[in-house]
Parts: sequence; C-alpha cells; structure tokens
Amino acid sequence: MGFDFAYTDEQKMVQESITRMLKRHEDKHVSWRQDIYKHHNFPDALWQAFAETGIMGSFLPEAYGGSDMGLMPLLLALETLSAHGFASVHAVVTAMDALCLLKHGSEELKQRILPKVATGEMRLGYAHTEPDAGSNVFNTATFAKREGDHYVVNGQKVFISGVDSTQKLLLVTRTTSLEDAIAQGNRTYGLTLMLVDCDSPGLEKQFLPLQGLEGIKQWAIFFENMKVPVENVVGTENGGAQIIFDSLNSERILAAGIATGMVDFLLDRSTRYARERKVFGNRAIGSYQAIAHPLAETKIEQEAARLLTYRAAWAFDKGLPPAEVGHFANLAKFKAADVAIKAADHAIETHGGYGFSEEYEVIYYWNTARLFKTAPITREMILNFISEHSLKLPRSY
Amino acid sequence: MDIIVCIKQVPDTTTVIQIDPSGKDIVRDGITYIVSPYDEFAIEEALKLKEAGDGTVTVLTVGPESAKEALRTGLAMGADEAIHVVYEGAPSQLDSLTTAKLIAKALEGKKYDLVFCGRQAIDDDALQIGSLVAEFLNVPQISLVIKLEINGEQIKASRTIEGGTQVVESRLPALITAQKGLNEPRYPSMKGILKARKKEITELKAAELGVDLTPRVVLEELRLPPARPAGKIVGSVAELVKALHEEIKVI
Repeated sequence: MGFDFAYTDEQKMVQESITRMLKRHEDKHVSWRQDIYKHHNFPDALWQAFAETGIMGSFLPEAYGGSDMGLMPLLLALETLSAHGFASVHAVVTAMDALCLLKHGSEELKQRILPKVATGEMRLGYAHTEPDAGSNVFNTATFAKREGDHYVVNGQKVFISGVDSTQKLLLVTRTTSLEDAIAQGNRTYGLTLMLVDCDSPGLEKQFLPLQGLEGIKQWAIFFENMKVPVENVVGTENGGAQIIFDSLNSERILAAGIATGMVDFLLDRSTRYARERKVFGNRAIGSYQAIAHPLAETKIEQEAARLLTYRAAWAFDKGLPPAEVGHFANLAKFKAADVAIKAADHAIETHGGYGFSEEYEVIYYWNTARLFKTAPITREMILNFISEHSLKLPRSY
Repeated sequence: MDIIVCIKQVPDTTTVIQIDPSGKDIVRDGITYIVSPYDEFAIEEALKLKEAGDGTVTVLTVGPESAKEALRTGLAMGADEAIHVVYEGAPSQLDSLTTAKLIAKALEGKKYDLVFCGRQAIDDDALQIGSLVAEFLNVPQISLVIKLEINGEQIKASRTIEGGTQVVESRLPALITAQKGLNEPRYPSMKGILKARKKEITELKAAELGVDLTPRVVLEELRLPPARPAGKIVGSVAELVKALHEEIKVI
C-alpha cells in the first residue's frame, strides 16, 4: 500500500495514553510549566509519569525491556506532551543516545544501559559541541588517549544539556588528531564516541546561564585526565563520524515534533483568548481578520511541518539510508522551527500586552521556539545541505 | 478467576456535540472516541483481580466496526481476550434491551465467574445494561460498587447510596457495575499496546446471533439543552441579595 495518512489504532493509543497521563495531573500543569520555563528544571513527577507509560522503551527491542515500535510513538508522545506546553529535551537526547547505542554499541553496553533507559530510570546526555567544533565536528579537539584498558580524556565541551540531571553522557572525542587524519588522506577519520559517567573524576562542570532549551540546564564541561574504560566505546575507535551523522537524525525528528506540538499549545492559547477578548464593542477579537488570518496561516504551516516530521520518522522507522532520513529530518526541523517561531509571535500579538505576562504563559515559548531555529542544527546549515545534496549545487563553505 | 468486562465506546467527554440533520444521531465526523470512563473502572478492577490470583479478563463490546478501538484499549491495558459483537445498524435503532440480549448471547457457553459493567455509559446514560445483562445471565447484580473484596466464592462489596455507603454480600458468579472511586484506571503502557497488537479479537455478527434486533425503545429525537441565558452583572451586594431573593428565589 502506498500513502496512508491515518493514525493507526496503536498510534492513537499512544497519544491517548499520554493525554490521559497528563489529564490525571491536570492540577499540576501550571506549576510544572513554571518549573520548566522559569526554573529550568524538568519536574521529577512529570518525568516519572511520562516514563511509567513505557514510552522511553517504545523504540527499543523487547530484549532490552522495550516494546519495539520504532521512533514514531515517541515522536507522537513528545508532540502530545509539547501540545500541553511541556517540551522534554531529556527524552530527545536520551532517545538519540539510546538509538545510537542500539545500533553501534557492544552487547554488554546495551545490556547495561538500555533496560534502564526503557524504564525511564536512566537519562543520557550528549557531549558534542566545543568552543571550536559544533556544526563542524571534525574540529573536535577533546582527545582520548588509549592507555591499556582505558582512555585518558582531556579537553572541553560547551552547551552540554543536563550534566546535572542525566547519569551518563555520550561523548565525542578524537583518538587520532585531525592533522594525522588529513595526513592519512581521510579527514573524517579519528572521531570516537564513548559513554562517560557525569560524575567521573576528572570531569568538571560549569553552569551556563542560557535561555531557550527549557526544562534542562546547560553546562560547559572540562576533562582533565578523565579515565574511560575501553568497553565504554560506542562503535569503533576512530570510526565515530558516520555514527554521529546517523544519530543526529533522530534528534532532529524529535525536535521537529516538539516544535509542531508547541504550535498546538500556542494556537490553543491564542484562539481561546481571541474568542473571549473584546476590545471594541461586543465583538471578540478573533472575529477580526488581522487576528484570525495569522493564526489560520500558522495552522496551515503547522500541518505542513507535521507531515514532513511524520515522513522523516517514517523514513527512520523504515530503515532508509541515513542520508535519506537526514534529508527529511532536515526539512522537518527547518519547517517546524519556522512555524513554532511564527506561532509564538502570533500568540503574543493576539494577547497584546498580556502576551508578555507570565499568567498567560505564551511568552515562555518565545525563547524556546526561537531556539529551534538554531538547534539542534542551524537553519543555515540545513539550507547548505539541501543546496549541496538535493539540488546538487556547488558546496558553498 | 475468569472475568468478562462489558465496555462501550463513547464520544470523548471534551467533544462538542452537534445533532445530525436526521435528529436521531449526533454528528459523528471528526469525533474522538474513548472507552466510557465507568467502563475503565470496570476494566481496572478486573485486571487487579486477575493479577491478584489467576484467570483471564475478556473485554466485550457491542457496536460498529470502529468500536474495535475500545477493545484494543482494553487489551492494551492488560485484558487477555476481546469479543466484538459487530452491530452495523443505526445507533438510534439499538436499544438497551437488544444490547443486553446480544451480550448474553455472546457469552453463551463462555466460562466466567464475574461480569463487570460500568455503572452507565456516558453517552446515552440509560443505566440499564448491568441490570438487564444480570437478568439474562441469571446472576445477582451489585450496582454502583466502590470497593470490592472477593474471598473464595464470597463477594463483599461497598456501594454508594444517598449520603453514605452500603456494604453487601453475595456469591460468585455475579455482575458488578463500577462506580467512580472503585480504583484509578491504568493507562495502556507501550508494552501493553505492543501486546494488544498480537491479540485476536473474536468477531460475532449481531445479525447472526439469533437475537431479534427490532428495538422496543426507539430513539425519536435528540435535542441540545437550551442555550444558557446571558448572565447578569449586578452593581452592589444589596442588588445581588435582592436578585437572589426576588428573582431566583434561592434565599
């Protein structure tokens, strides 16, 4: 069968399961959102309730305590969560790491980590970006030197989420210097991924007061002779580059889902206000086209973004080649970020001065929506990829 | 212990209901359906009893093809089996008596110790299925149960009554209707959803069960409640008291 745009019974049940979980805690929603957007904490009770649905295992095989349903259920769950105003970065990064482990990790590592991910007991972080390496991962300078049965790691990372609220980080290191790799004629050679404990001796963390990625704190981390056992390597030594590119696809797809879900939340708030608010005479402001049309346009664009996101998750679950999945993941993230910004902007506009009041909550989403334009990949890098790979234009950088 | 739970698929409580031009049904397009909330209490209680001992839980529904979703939800919550009595006629033509007869017929030859129903379905609020099914199955019925203990064959149940609680005893097999407060229904877990995919739903056709489907009670017309009149804003406490006393006559 070709196209079928209906949710399956199973997918509906996933959405219903999350909705019902949220409904059961309805009295806490406002304080949870304050926790996330004002205090940058993800409420434990919300994580617990989310994990109890079993959703963190939905994409893992049954052998690791999962339910083997692919990425789509988690996408739908995060979308639903976000439609109630809760964006969970923890779920995104943990899933991305776990999927990477599943595909490239040793059996021992999988047995050790994945069942705990499935129950929600373990959350994972991802340590990639450095002051001089982000979009260009080949500039990674953090170096892991092999010494017997372990590596000794030195270097630093920046913009790392949740070093305080996750147990382990998937760390991008170099095990061969860029110069040596280039000398060998392969600049993609030399990157290695390894799993490290957040409380490893030799790992120092420094809080970064950032806004945008909500419900999780951002850190700079410094490694000084941090020891990592050899068995914690994910994939092959020096062969990390391809693994990294694979893994980032799931992060983009899930981020796009959070963005389109957020649009639901913002449209709900906007339309609710626009139906009730009267300024001149006895007409609700929602009857003015200047208010209604931008919201209607947002709805159209959201559906477009949603289709792209589902298509990307579908490609991921079909096991299409990473480059193809990446193409759709990029399109989805691009469109979803744009529409989230638009939705936040129009939500504030609809609310007028109240748009800036914490009571109406829409202002919380301004930074978050804007962040999606920059992370997990910038809008400009996506345009570069599309130009180069889909349109076959000369590389511009 | 083998337990049957009769459930019904109903429009979500948040649905804005509109009447179909025929006047005999609601507009069904775009409606999200749920398992009637009282039926969820029934499913949960059945699952708890099964988990405490052994046996099976079977969810059963009478309804159109789409009602399978409700059964899938029951299976995903943890039920072992599902029976769908497929009714293809207009919902307005299916009265409580016929539904109960279909349920009893579907259960013929089936082994059970306990049958659960919700106290009522939240769409038509007929409150009849529990009593009718108990009658056709020839088992005692305990309605509006908020607490249930089973020891061997012995049932001890607490029921809500006006202003208090009544404790009654009976013996298996019996029919229980679930009232709010009986438990906190679980939601389907991902593993449950996965398992539900693999479980078969037994399908029976209502028209082929040998039950006369002619309704004894026919739905003639549906009407929405009259729109609420606009509120009145009073200028002072004195005016409010006067209005409450003289206009609405509540004080």
